[in-house]
Amino acid sequence: MAAEAAAAGRLWLSACRAGGHWRRLCSAGLLRGFLQPASAVGDAARRRQLAHFTFQPDPEHQDYGQTQKMNLFQAVTSALDNSLAKDPTAVIFGEDVAFGGVFRCTVGLRDKYGKDRVFNTPLCEQGIVGFGIGIAVTGATAIAEIQFADYIFPAFDQIVNEAAKYRYRSGDLFNCGSLTIRSPWGCVGHGALYHSQSPEAFFAHCPGIKVVVPRSPFQAKGLLLSCIEDKNPCIFFEPKILYRAAVEQVPVEPYNIPLSQAEIIQEGSDVTLVAWGTQVHVIREVASMAQEKLGVSCEVIDLRTILPWDVDTVCKEECFLNLEAPISRVCGYDTPFPHIFEPFYIPDKWKCYDALRKMINY
Amino acid sequence: MALAARAARVWGSRRGWRQVGLLLLQRLGVRGLAVSHPRWQQEQHFSSLDDKPQFPGASAEFVDKLEFIQPNVISGIPIYRVMDRQGQIINPSEDPHLPQEKVLKFYKSMTLLNTMDRILYESQRQGRISFYMTNYGEEGTHVGSAAALDNTDLVFGQYREAGVLMYRDYPLEQFMAQCYGNVNDPGKGRQMPVHYGCKERHFVTISSPLATQIPQAVGAAYAAKRANANRIVICYFGEGAASEGDAHAGFNFAATLECPIIFFCRNNGYAISTPTSEQYRGDGIAARGPGYGILSIRVDGNDVFAVYNATKEARRRAVAENQPFLIEAMTYRIGHHSTSDDSSAYRSVDEVNYWDKQDHPISRLRHYMQSRGWWDDEQEKAWRKQSRKKVMEAFEEAERKLKPNPSLLFSDVYQEMPAQLRKQQESLTRHLQTYGEHYPLDHFEK
Repeated sequence: MAAEAAAAGRLWLSACRAGGHWRRLCSAGLLRGFLQPASAVGDAARRRQLAHFTFQPDPEHQDYGQTQKMNLFQAVTSALDNSLAKDPTAVIFGEDVAFGGVFRCTVGLRDKYGKDRVFNTPLCEQGIVGFGIGIAVTGATAIAEIQFADYIFPAFDQIVNEAAKYRYRSGDLFNCGSLTIRSPWGCVGHGALYHSQSPEAFFAHCPGIKVVVPRSPFQAKGLLLSCIEDKNPCIFFEPKILYRAAVEQVPVEPYNIPLSQAEIIQEGSDVTLVAWGTQVHVIREVASMAQEKLGVSCEVIDLRTILPWDVDTVCKEECFLNLEAPISRVCGYDTPFPHIFEPFYIPDKWKCYDALRKMINY
Repeated sequence: MALAARAARVWGSRRGWRQVGLLLLQRLGVRGLAVSHPRWQQEQHFSSLDDKPQFPGASAEFVDKLEFIQPNVISGIPIYRVMDRQGQIINPSEDPHLPQEKVLKFYKSMTLLNTMDRILYESQRQGRISFYMTNYGEEGTHVGSAAALDNTDLVFGQYREAGVLMYRDYPLEQFMAQCYGNVNDPGKGRQMPVHYGCKERHFVTISSPLATQIPQAVGAAYAAKRANANRIVICYFGEGAASEGDAHAGFNFAATLECPIIFFCRNNGYAISTPTSEQYRGDGIAARGPGYGILSIRVDGNDVFAVYNATKEARRRAVAENQPFLIEAMTYRIGHHSTSDDSSAYRSVDEVNYWDKQDHPISRLRHYMQSRGWWDDEQEKAWRKQSRKKVMEAFEEAERKLKPNPSLLFSDVYQEMPAQLRKQQESLTRHLQTYGEHYPLDHFEK
């Protein structure tokens, strides 16, 4: 009984932390009678999967002043807090941002900065982005949230046909450079078709906008601050699986990480591995496996900015003439993102390792 | 107290106070308990003997008769007008009594626009410019509304609002420069003709996708409200664009976020070939406003004074009360949709002639002026000659000018030019050094 209650309590707590929509759905009392704890079932395969990666924090940065332990969503909150403190025109808006956001990224900001600066909008992505463009056209700083990257598509016209082209089409008479769109992004273990998407590729060929994906809390805060201050409309995708899983020492004061600069996080001489967001931690592990099992030295690059991307870091001049194997792309399959099959769908470390092994043996 | 004021605004001041109580009860529903406002939680209690609706989503009474609300399209929202079709004031108390100078400016703006339209339409037919859109019949909607605004009020347009720029004294040379895409085009030759923009005159550059400007205008209005600038935003669109999702988004955001904006719909009867009967089934656009909680009015768009009065009052209240207004200006598109359209394919010449001859904003205003002794046939003749001369001079000058240097193809994509784009720019330069003879370089600035 105690074990069941404890299990039920754990389920209730973890459901609470996962996001607002679970909050009042089940009470501990209801569960106690019905459910046996997962361990009692005995079949390991039926338990929900552990994550496909291990977050690897970077060494603490000394150059930016006092740091504090923050997870990724707290790093985002910190960046937003810094922005609203520095820039009196800055406002944050989107669905459910007022109470703190479904991922807690805006907790405390409405109380601190006021309801005219942190506010909910109606449920309408095309409206959110269009509205944000309009604020930016007047020169004020607009930080729009799209609740899941999977829902960014209604705003595609506003982003691609309007925001991206505003400066160019007006001959620089008008622009919406002070617009930043932030959105939770990527696989999370159970998100399925509509809570797992990584839509950066749809925007990657749209001149006029910038697209950025951080791998960690420290990177997220610095890159988000750069996006907000950048004089061009930016889309900032936040890997939602890292919101709580990634914890690092992050500077409390504002700092910038430059856009359009990839980072070589590990030097190497045999193979180059390029990724962004969550996947950086996967390929870091693959690099270790390659070193350990194959004696292969891997260069690991975090692309960070998808558009405009850092061609020079990734492709040295005429590198294509000197490759000893064709480039390998390891990604999800050409299907929508499945629910129960996620462990088979994602480009996990085994698939990446296998591709690397084949490349070495080419 | 703020609650009572809000209640009064939504439901009318008579019922405002009574509704405050209802609003309090609604706020204390299931959702209300979970929302911040702990001070209400202590005061909340509602008796189960009280059979009033408690739903947070609507403020209404119960009814026990099953009845669908009938949309009223037979006798729709009435059309406000000041002058009759002969330019005579109907109700003297509605005459804005504008000074002669101002009324003359109305007339000259509308007629100069009309003259420019004729010449530029012709120039497209002759292959001098690639494309053009005329404003025939809608000059009154542009000038009447523009005149009622402050010069610094921000304008978001669709593509048939050149009269607003004309009223704000945008030079003919710049209209032409944009249409020709020549070196003087402030837009640097990037867009098709009639996609004007002017920073000094607070006219945001036109873009082709329809209705995208609507939620943008709302955002700009929100920023203006925060800036305490005593500024409103006006957003023009046609009755066709009002079908777009962006229009719905804009209206809803403006109302919920309390933005000082005027939505100005030019209902001209057609969206290219699509008549209004195929565009909507309700009572036009004005009837949608109340659905969003927006104060709305329908006006005779061919009556400059009606347009002026409605816009003036909407502006005054929008800035004072921080709420949106919707003006649906009924008018008629006398010209084709554009130079790519021949409207005889979908409407009769008789229909067009009726509007051109019997109900035109320019002639109605002329009759008004003539009846006051402010205008006569001689002045008309002289002004026609003068305006035509001005337009022709600007036109010939625009024709002669070169196009901008092709390197301007590459700038302003971002604020700073990315390295990759600079490489592309250099590659075009090299390409032209070898293959330049195959390109129209003679027409472009070196």
